[in-house]
Amino acid sequence: MAKQQQEVRDLQEGSYVMIDDAACKINSYSTAKPGKHGSAKARVEAEGVFDGKKRSLSQPVDAKIWVPIIERKQGQVVSVDGSDMQVMDLETYETITMRVPEDQDVSPDDNIEYLEMDDQRKIV
Amino acid sequence: MFPGATDYRTDGSDDTGRAADSEDANFVVVGAPLDASTTFQPGTRFGPRRIRTFAETFDDYDRRTDQYFSDCGVADRGDVRAWDDVDEYLEWLTGTLRDVVRDDAVPLTLGGEHTVSLAGARAVEPEVVVSLDAHLDLRDAYDGNPLSHASVMRRILDDTDSVEELVVLGARTGSEAEWDRATEADVTVVAPEDVAAWTAPDSLADRDVYLSVDIDAADPAYAPGTGTMEPFGLEPREMRNAVRQVAPHATGFDVVEVNDRDDGQAAALAGKLLREFVFLKAADRS
Repeated sequence: MAKQQQEVRDLQEGSYVMIDDAACKINSYSTAKPGKHGSAKARVEAEGVFDGKKRSLSQPVDAKIWVPIIERKQGQVVSVDGSDMQVMDLETYETITMRVPEDQDVSPDDNIEYLEMDDQRKIV
Repeated sequence: MFPGATDYRTDGSDDTGRAADSEDANFVVVGAPLDASTTFQPGTRFGPRRIRTFAETFDDYDRRTDQYFSDCGVADRGDVRAWDDVDEYLEWLTGTLRDVVRDDAVPLTLGGEHTVSLAGARAVEPEVVVSLDAHLDLRDAYDGNPLSHASVMRRILDDTDSVEELVVLGARTGSEAEWDRATEADVTVVAPEDVAAWTAPDSLADRDVYLSVDIDAADPAYAPGTGTMEPFGLEPREMRNAVRQVAPHATGFDVVEVNDRDDGQAAALAGKLLREFVFLKAADRS
């Protein structure tokens, strides 16, 4: 999996983080003041990029954490076959098969944007 | 640790910082020792500790519901340390309580000043809030502070999307503007003398309810350890009746405004009402 390590303190709302081995987009980031004891902690609430599941973590701000590398790509729909569609990557011109999202109508020649991490993709 | 509760933070914390046994708890006690906007006698920062201490003498067994408190699945995650940026603290506390809600447990928050109920309501997202309180707490701001303990019910009504209705039991004082706000359709005020006979309306049955107990709802004779005492208050048994009425419908609970300025009366009553809530809710589940 494409990922890199960061400190919790470098996370921010809108960026990505791995929680429970799932790539998540951060919805909220808050920190607790530590007073005279312990270290500052951060709390992250996030939503799975590919499964939509809400997850949270609470860690010291200097803890190391994995951040997934997610690419935003452009593609063009080549053909639609039932619930699957063929999409051509507009950079590499390779053709990939993707599931048609339930809430969207797509037809050939549509340009779409999607997020890609390894072999997981999600249309935005 | 609340007597009879297990530790919410075991050694088996996973790498997300959550406790290994958190998913087994039915109720989670969370201390919220906020003491920032107290306007007369301070000391709510000692509330959670006092409540836990004065609950030590209570029997594990409850005759009325034939249950042991230690069998009810109550865990205690300790206190969420408070600091003076109330807005920031409430955000942090809300997240902590939201984790409890996501674990399918009922948060039991120990105040702290009444302001912490805003975090409870944000986390639980109830449709109705029932508050036992001497005060209306409907000020838009107190001393210019919209996050004052005297404004908490106004913040919950106006700023928490899910909340449709507020019921205040035992209220006996407020500013003219607060009483005016209380005449609107989304607020019901039950006077102290009417609380003994009060029963939960049918409208609570199919809605999520958050129950907040401000210990100053009790007459100061019974709970002197609180910041703003208001005479002509409720009898402890009347408060217990109200808790029993609401508990089966409630998905979140707090008891607030206990300080350390008495011999434990306020804290003992607070701990007893929390246990009453747990026994009723646990009996309702089984």
